[in-house]
Amino acid sequence: MKERSKAYQVRIDKALATPRLQQALHQFGDAYLLAREKAFSGLDFEALRQEIGEMKDDVRRHHVRYLKQFIDNAEAAGAKVYLAKTAEEANRYIADLAVEKGIKLAVKSKSMASEETHLNKALEQANIKPLETDLGEWILQLCGQRPSHMVMPAIHMFKEEVADLFSRETGRTEAADIPHLVEVARQQLRQGYLDADMGISGANMAIAETGGIALVTNEGNARLTTTLPKTHVALVGIDKLVPTLEDAAKVIRVLPKNATGQALTSYVTWISGAVPSGDGEKELHIVLLDNGRSRLAEDEKCCETSRCIRCGACANVCPVYQTVGGHVFGHIYIGAIGIILTAFFDGIDKAAELVKACIGCRSCVAICPANIDLEEIILALRETVADQEGIGSGKALVFKKVMRNRKLFHSLIRAASKVQKPLTRGERTIRHLPLFFTSLTEWRTLPAIADKPLRDIWPQQQLVKPQQKVVLFGGCANDFLYPELGTDLVQVMNHLNVQVDYPLEQNCCGIPALYSGDKETAVLLAKQNIDVLLADDPVAVLTTCPTCTMALKRDFVEHFKDDPLWRARAEKLASLTVDAAGYIVNQLKAASHFEDLSTPQKITYHDSCHLKRGAGGWREPRQLIETVGHQLIEMDHADRCCGFGGSYSFTGHPEIARKILDDKLVDIEKTEADWVAMDCPGCMMQMRGGLEKKESKVRVAHTIELLARGLREAKHND
Amino acid sequence: MRKCFYQAAEASGAVLVECKNVATAVEYIARHAAGAVLLPASPSCERVNLAEQLRRAGLDLLPVAREHAAEAAAGVTSTCFAIADTGTLVLESTAEDVRLASTLPTRHFILLDQRKIVADGLAAVEPLRQMHQQNPRNYIAYITGPSRTADIERVLTIGVHGPKELYILLLGDWSSDLLEM
Repeated sequence: MKERSKAYQVRIDKALATPRLQQALHQFGDAYLLAREKAFSGLDFEALRQEIGEMKDDVRRHHVRYLKQFIDNAEAAGAKVYLAKTAEEANRYIADLAVEKGIKLAVKSKSMASEETHLNKALEQANIKPLETDLGEWILQLCGQRPSHMVMPAIHMFKEEVADLFSRETGRTEAADIPHLVEVARQQLRQGYLDADMGISGANMAIAETGGIALVTNEGNARLTTTLPKTHVALVGIDKLVPTLEDAAKVIRVLPKNATGQALTSYVTWISGAVPSGDGEKELHIVLLDNGRSRLAEDEKCCETSRCIRCGACANVCPVYQTVGGHVFGHIYIGAIGIILTAFFDGIDKAAELVKACIGCRSCVAICPANIDLEEIILALRETVADQEGIGSGKALVFKKVMRNRKLFHSLIRAASKVQKPLTRGERTIRHLPLFFTSLTEWRTLPAIADKPLRDIWPQQQLVKPQQKVVLFGGCANDFLYPELGTDLVQVMNHLNVQVDYPLEQNCCGIPALYSGDKETAVLLAKQNIDVLLADDPVAVLTTCPTCTMALKRDFVEHFKDDPLWRARAEKLASLTVDAAGYIVNQLKAASHFEDLSTPQKITYHDSCHLKRGAGGWREPRQLIETVGHQLIEMDHADRCCGFGGSYSFTGHPEIARKILDDKLVDIEKTEADWVAMDCPGCMMQMRGGLEKKESKVRVAHTIELLARGLREAKHND
Repeated sequence: MRKCFYQAAEASGAVLVECKNVATAVEYIARHAAGAVLLPASPSCERVNLAEQLRRAGLDLLPVAREHAAEAAAGVTSTCFAIADTGTLVLESTAEDVRLASTLPTRHFILLDQRKIVADGLAAVEPLRQMHQQNPRNYIAYITGPSRTADIERVLTIGVHGPKELYILLLGDWSSDLLEM
């Protein structure tokens, strides 16, 4: 393992040993979602984010023009504008300016850009004292830490720690009472505004139409920082440009709602040019910071990131962030957006561990107010990291030498099913693994490889006149771990007079290779699968695993976007691919064929990440479960990741996966349901493993299995 | 729209006071200011000689300058217009006096003509643009409730750096010009 990876693991372990932090981040995550829902009530979030995405894309494409317009207008209004290519250039400009004016003290309001450039350090080196005035930033300045969240920088700290810091500062014993501590900050910082000769702020927007900036804040410190000192320096990322005041209003409509669930922050401050100050005029310097932003905007795979309005929501909903916090799952910027920005602002090396720590659940994609497919971009970065560092000899061997050769791959799995006998003791799950593998079964059992894979037991079907002929893309888990899921699917489809074929040449969907950064193997597997699945011209290609669905519907098309021949075939396959529940409900409109077949049981439903946030399915399985006769009990956080994440929970970050699973199991047990249903073999493996290890009575089933059980019950009762 | 504004402003933590006339507003300020007051110059306040009325009500008016601003208990300002859906007040704050009076004191009293309420942030863009056209060098503040923070353990706490109390005094015949402070 690389030294860097080892060091990162130490940080993860330390964070995992801080349950209080996890509890705080979980509570925040819950409260945030409730407040956010209220703030957006009556508004069409999808439409709003579409609009912001398009506006920011327009800015990216016409960046030169808007930048010039902004600079011209700002200068006409008396501002001085400096374009800094790098962090060093920005710092130098600001420090030189302060030195030239003989400034000793600069008050700062919160600016992530200044964190990015390490401005405080540069000022200190020039003998200028920077004083952070945002409460969270001041707390961190007092203890020499960096923000662990973009919007709530000190979210990882507790009032007792703050009281200790403040006591040291005031020389008194300050009580760990939050209103009191806030008052202490008010009193302590007040004089700073009056004494400082320079105020430094960031900006949430730079408006080309006016040449002005807009600041979105709550505390009022930005207003003081930009009012009292004679010189105001605004450090602004060039990606904060918006064309017009309308565009700015649209961002403001969404930003606080998505950041903290507030309808609007206490203050929105619009500043254009040099305004009166005392007897004269204030000096306004706008430092426009590039520092990798242009490179990001020009990067074919990552350019969507330029849409970001820095709300921080991608962290708020991220299960990895909630488990390890922003100091571990972030560099300067944190969460999903932090991974990408780090790669471009600080270099791919600083981002490499973060890229691998993402579990790929797409919760960030669903919440992003600028419609950025963060997960897809992180995936592209993973490929870059893999290209540079390799994916590890073990994985390389499996992907390149084994998986690409289907016959070899499948015969090795068959061989493994024989070898595992001493471990399974003839059961369907492995409860313990020996020696250095023990940690893998410490917190979940693992499914045994089936004696006979699905391909060997594929049922003969004797439908006289089937209404449709479809094929199943089983995927490795359905084929080799849960073959009964496949035979259940056949039973369910035959009940609807649909014939299902199972082309034997189908191979792995390629996601494990792709998610590990081995795109080459993924592309080869895609070609094999496209050939075999389209061979008999089916009317639909069914899936029981939503991760495979995403591969067939999204990734295959992406692989061949520059290859006209393969692209057409990939698009054809994408258009035919559908998850089994979606096929029954939406295409056949046949949910009613399963009405009241089962004795009612209490069932709770887990939304698999790639079904809900990939394929967009969540109503369909619920409808089927209720139709078949069960009582559906919603669990809390039904669409939060279960922590499986494919190889993430085996070799990536099993310790994080385990914590995320623990959260899920608590939510499941709270419902007192008899069963937890889902539509993903990976989630089944994770949750069944966890529940079995806990000796829980809750049973795990795929929605299709519940339908098949219903059919069997009905038959039995006849 | 008025009702929408009332609800949103109250939800933001502002205190709404419906005033029959300027005298009622003056009386209210006198009762709640709890100390010396800053009154920056503005056309609507000058029209009714608000300074004189406040003095007559027994209030101590400090000269608006940074050395006094920190001592004042309250700032009294007019407002250009309000935004209904978020309960926001829009203050043309280019004059430093307005900024001092609305940032440093503990209390901020804002006089608003009830006729000057626009629907939402997008409807506010047109008057905002006109302000920019009138004066390309400007400092315009949207104020929604008192100053707040949730930076310690995410507990909402009112009044960190800016005013702890925000009073909106609603008047019927104060100013009809969206751009006038």
